[in-house]
Parts: sequence; structure tokens; C-alpha cells
Amino acid sequence: MDLLLAAAQVALAPAALVAVLAGCLLGVVFGAIPGLTFTVAMALVVPMSFSMETAPAIGLLLGTYIGGMTGGSVSAILLGIPGTPSAAATVLDGYQLTRRGKASLALGTAVVASAFGGIVSLIIMVVSVDMVARLALRFGPAETFGLLVFGLSTICGLAQKSLIKGLIAGVLGLMVMTIGIDEMEGAQRLTFGTVVLQQGVSLLVAMIALFAVPHVIDAFVQHYAGERKPQEVADVRAELPSIRDILRDFWLMLRCALLGTGIGAIPGTGGPIAAFLAYAHARKSSKRPERFGKGEMAGVVAPETANNAVTGGAMIPLLSLGIPGDPATAILLSGLLIHGLIPGPMLFIQNPGEIYQIYLAIIVAYVAVVAIQLLGIRFFVQVLRVPAHLLAVAVIVMCAYGAFAIRNSVFDVVSVAVLGGMAYGLMRVGIPLTPIILGLVLGPAIERDFRTAMILSEGDPSVFVASVPGAVFLGLAALVVGAQLLRSIRATLSARRTEEKRRASVTPSE
Amino acid sequence: MQKGIIASVALSAAMAVGLCAPARAEFPEKPVEMTILFGSTAQTIGQLLAELMSRHLPQPVVPVARTGAGGAVGYQHVHGTAPDGYNIVWNSNSISTVHHGGGLPFDYTAFAPVAKISVEVPAIAVRADSGWETLSDMAADIKSAGRKLKVGASGRGSFTHLATEAILAALDLSDSAIHVPYDQGRAPVELLAGRLDAALQWPGQFVSHHEAGTLRILCVTSAARISQLPDVPTCAESGAGEMDIVMWRGLAAPAGTPPEAIARLEEAARLAAESEEFRKAAQTIGFEVEFAGHEAFGELIARDDTIIADLMGQLGLTEQ
Repeated sequence: MDLLLAAAQVALAPAALVAVLAGCLLGVVFGAIPGLTFTVAMALVVPMSFSMETAPAIGLLLGTYIGGMTGGSVSAILLGIPGTPSAAATVLDGYQLTRRGKASLALGTAVVASAFGGIVSLIIMVVSVDMVARLALRFGPAETFGLLVFGLSTICGLAQKSLIKGLIAGVLGLMVMTIGIDEMEGAQRLTFGTVVLQQGVSLLVAMIALFAVPHVIDAFVQHYAGERKPQEVADVRAELPSIRDILRDFWLMLRCALLGTGIGAIPGTGGPIAAFLAYAHARKSSKRPERFGKGEMAGVVAPETANNAVTGGAMIPLLSLGIPGDPATAILLSGLLIHGLIPGPMLFIQNPGEIYQIYLAIIVAYVAVVAIQLLGIRFFVQVLRVPAHLLAVAVIVMCAYGAFAIRNSVFDVVSVAVLGGMAYGLMRVGIPLTPIILGLVLGPAIERDFRTAMILSEGDPSVFVASVPGAVFLGLAALVVGAQLLRSIRATLSARRTEEKRRASVTPSE
Repeated sequence: MQKGIIASVALSAAMAVGLCAPARAEFPEKPVEMTILFGSTAQTIGQLLAELMSRHLPQPVVPVARTGAGGAVGYQHVHGTAPDGYNIVWNSNSISTVHHGGGLPFDYTAFAPVAKISVEVPAIAVRADSGWETLSDMAADIKSAGRKLKVGASGRGSFTHLATEAILAALDLSDSAIHVPYDQGRAPVELLAGRLDAALQWPGQFVSHHEAGTLRILCVTSAARISQLPDVPTCAESGAGEMDIVMWRGLAAPAGTPPEAIARLEEAARLAAESEEFRKAAQTIGFEVEFAGHEAFGELIARDDTIIADLMGQLGLTEQ
């Protein structure tokens, strides 16, 4: 208790509070602007944190991380362009809600769900860090492969009208990520003998290209073709969700928070996978699954709760085992190291005070994020008043800058243009873009875990079903795919039958 | 017409003088860009070094991350810049591994050494309950059991992979081991979970587990023990015969950079490396500060390049 009070004194000191607040603000802004991601924001603040005291430094980094995670939903909902890969699932229903004039309601719900997910995951982390870490250890490459394949199977649910087109999209995503150096064998793939292609396509670059560029092209085409769209977003009132609205989805939020924490705790997974699995779960458990994709609030609540729960979940392996789960936690790790905090089992013994400071900083960050976002909603929604073609200019500039900032590479800016142009073409022929992002996110991890598992088992494929989690996840994936196949076959058959019936009923009268 | 020619000659002469004038001024006149090739610890050390160097120069040193392709992307960028001292690279042995692995069309001679800053020494660890106290224990056990040693390191052709293969060769285990490639940070977990028998990584990843008594660091691959782990023997002491494998990090500029600029940067780098802050960071992050001037550094790079080329050739990793 004394330790907690001492930690509170340090973590709640003015300097530390200001640092958390500044981090949150920066994170929200970077997350909210399409093209800029919070990974870039974190890379910017790390050098600043070097010269700060430990508590403000931790606060600044955690604030940026958490602010960015929640900020990603803002542009996902308002513009249909996710601010981070984790917010890609939020676009599906969030953007539809904006088109129906419920932007502020969706934003408010998203931030509350985010904070809920984050706090629940923090509580789980505090209570059971050791147990969860030990469970996460049992998730080896084979088990993770099963989980990722299960995640990939949610493509079936995202494919909307045509399963084939959904699969085409998913495979395209998987293929794009094979470009570059294969980290395991050091082999060059699809580099055409050049050095620039060795770096491959960055996930963030691909995401910017897929979501932002088609929007921009579309806005220009509509403006210059003189197609006057009916005023889609007439209502930009700042309407906040009531407590009752939020409580309606309480159990869904709780389930998604647990799911997000669990996935966050497994190294090599992360926010996007959790968000898509949560979205699929929300749809499956909903009484009206047909309304998903058309502006269902549960379709915003589920991914936002889950991707923020990942923040707490990812802290478990980071702090207790010293392994960063994703690029953002890797940056966090270097920030901790420079202040003499070496994550791992000894951290809890040698620096218990700092651990409490981290917990408190997370709580403060979530309070700050809710305050910033609820206050900010009335400003955010004003973006919708800007004519689409003018907004598109701003978006394209930010995207070019954001793509460059990821690794200071002009190649990435060119990639955004090329991939974005291709994405627009795919959109025009009715290929859904969301499965592509799923392929992009999961592709490298699936490949890596499959190969590692096969190397470890010395080429014996039974390793994938040898453990309970592996078998369960692969079984679930098979079930999802099988059910979807059956459904689409049945739909085709019944369509053919009604066609025949119609013809049969038509013939006699002729 | 005549007037026009005279005017243009005068103008170009004036421009030439104007262009030459800044070159005579004190270097550096504008920020120096330090390209960083890798993420995680390499980036953290590089950022800190840049900040400390900035204190000893009239202009800041700006760290810019150009990661990807095992360093090839960043090396190519710096290689393509003007040799004026305003572009330097936070380099390492990766210049040799990437070149000999076929990732880069040019080798270390494309760069002028500025200064060696630090070394990092890989360590090999096993589970504490494995019963292995030394490399010889491990080798004897594996040989008598007749099974294969699963050892985790970074990807094929990476520095930790080369170090792993060198140890295995010294223990005569080359044919009874499986190299499992992991990206950074995951090997210790796999070792803890029992899916690997041993892992070779940077000591920072093992230290906390070593102190907690779950993993045991068998040895470090340098010729002498390292300051971060004074109680851990060297691999030579642990039964691997003679061994000295360390990864250096330093600064280099494109070949042809004026010696004055290099001298100025070298001096700033020396002051930064010898600062208290840098030493403290070395302890927590897990590297050894080992400064060397540009001449000694150049000799080291050339010597290491031959050794790495030989090793990679023996392992069939060179691109012909």
C-alpha cells in the first residue's frame, strides 16, 4: 500500500500528468489524421523522453500509445479511413453510421468502448499478470498459426456479396506482403534485383493506400464529373450517447475486452486481429446480423473495445517477459530501457514502484483520452462540413507525408500511389477492400508461424493439431469456412431453383 | 552581345566564388543526418548518440530511421548522398553480412570510417532446469542422446546466425543442430516455453530471466567477459575453443568525404561516447562502449569483412 501511495505521488505529480495529457493529445491527433499513425507519433516522442524524468517519460509514451489507439477510430468513423490498422474493422459500420448522420453518436460510443476495453484489460493485467504470461507462453508458433488462420477465416464474413471476390481480396493482401526480404531465410522475393524493393511494402503504407486513396479519387471523380451527390451528411450535431445506449452493449463490451486482452497477451498478434475477431463475434452473437455493415452500433463497439483491450494485454508480455508484441510496444520498450527499466521477471521485484506508476499512467491516460475525445467530438464532426473534394486534397497531402514519415522513404510514397490506384480499380470492380487489409495484417505472421512450427517439429505437420488450442482454432476456422461454403452453395442452388420455377411457371402461359 | 557574355562570365564567376565560399567555412554549417538502419536497441543507441554528439557540434545531428532489408536500404541511401560529411550512417558488421549475402552491390569500401563507438556481444542461453552449466555439458548431452539441438537465432545470414554456426562448429555439433530463425525478441520466450534447447541473442533479452533464475546464460562469444555480465564465462572458457565474435557499431560517411569533416565528427563522437550518460545507457541497454578512431576502425572493418566472408562461404550463405 505504501508503495502504491508513493507511486501515486510520483505518477500524479503535475509534470507527469502534463506529460500523459500531452501524449494523449498528440496520440489522438496523429491517430485521427488519416495518413499519420501513432507509431510515427511515438517515434517522434521517444527522443524527447530520453531527457525527461522516469515518470513523465513513461507517461508521455503510454499517453501517446493509448491516445493513438483511440484516435484511430475518429477518421475511421468520420471519413472511412482508419487512422491505424487496428481501426480498420471500425470502418465497416462506423462510416455507415456517419453517412446516416450519426457521426457524433458513433464517435462518443467508440471512445467510451475504447476506455472500457482499456481499463478492463488493465485490471486483468494487474490481477493476473503472471498467470496470463504463463498461459501466453504455451502459445507457440503452431497454436498462434491456428489462431491466425481462424482470424483469416473471418474474411468469409467480410466478403459481403461474393465469397469469391472476398477470397480474391484476401489472397491479394497475402501476396503483397511477400514482397521484399524474407527475414527467416534471407531470400529476396519479388525484388527484381533492386535494393528498394527489398524493404517490402509496409503494412501502414498499404493501409493508407487501400483506404485513403480510393476515397480521394472518388471524391475528385464525383466533383469533376459533376455528379451531385445528395447531401449525405446533413446532420453534424454533436450528440453524445446516453448511458443507456452504452449499457445495452455491456456484455458484448465485456466479452470483447476479454478477447482483446487475451490476443494482446500473445506475442506476434495485435490490435487488428483482435478487432476483426471481435467484429466477427459481435455479428455472430447479434440478433440482427443482417444489419452489420449498414451502420450497426455494435459493429463499432466490438472492435473498439477489443483493440484497446490489446493495449493492456500487450503490456503483459512486455513487462513480464520483455517481449514487445507490436511496433508500438517495441518503441515503448526502448523508452523503458533508456530509463534503466529492463522489462522481464525481475522488473516486478526490483522496480515495483515503477510498475505501479505504469498502471496509474494507463488509468490517467484513459481518463484523459475520454475527456479529450468527448470535448473534441464537436470539433471533429465539423470536418464533415468541408466539401469532399477539398477535404480530399488535405487527405492526400497528409497521406503522402504520413507514408514518408514511417521510415523516411520516398519508395513508400510511390507505393501509396501505386497501391492506391490499384485499390481504386478493385473497388470499381466490386472487390471488397477490407479482406485485403486482413490478408496484409495476417500474411507475414501466418507464414512465419507456419514455417517456425514446421522447423521445430522437423517437418511433421501434425504439430498444428497436437495441442488443444491449435486444434480448437483450426477446427473453428474449418467450421466457419465450411458453413459459409454450404450457405453460398445453397444460395446459388435456391436461386437456380426459383429461376427454374419462374421459367416453369412462365412457360405454360406462353 | 559582348556585354552579355562579359556579364554572364562575371555572374558565373561570382556564383562559383559564392558556391565555394561556404566550403571554406567551418564544418558543419547545417544539420548532419545520421541514418539508422535497424529498429529496437540499434535505434535507441543511435538516437542517444546523435543527441549527445549534437552537444559538441554547432549544428545538431539528426537521427533518421531508414530501416529494412537488413540495412541495405539505409546503406544504399547514404551511398547515394554527396560525400560532404552531412550524411553519415550508424553502421555495423551488417555492411559485410548484407553485401556477402547478395543484398547490396557494393561493400564496405564505399564508405569512409568515422569512428567505432560500441560493441555488442551475443550470448547463448539455455533453460535453468536443463542441467547444462557449460557448452561442453550441452554438447556431451546432445551427442549421447543422439538427438538434434534446436537453437534459436535471428534469420539465416544474420549476425547472430553466423555466431551460432561458429559455436556449433567449435562444438562439433554442426550436423546435429537445427537453426530456428526468430525475429527479434521472440527467441527467449520460445526457450522459456521449452520449444527450443538454446538461443543465441543479445544479452539484454536474457538478463532479466537469467537473474530470475529461469534461464541460464552459458557464455558470451567475445574473447573477454563483458561488463554487464561479469560472472558469465566466455564461450572459450565454456568449452568452445578459441572464439572472439563481437558486433561493432560505429559511424561511417560516403567514401571521399573530406578528412576535416571526418575529424570533426570523430571528435564529437568521442566526446559523446565517453560521456557519463552514454556509459549509463550502455549498462541498461546491454552494450560495451569501445571507442576507436577512424584509422583503427577502418582496419577493423576490413579484417572483419574477410572473416565474415569466409564464414559465410563455409556455410554456403554467400551469393555468387
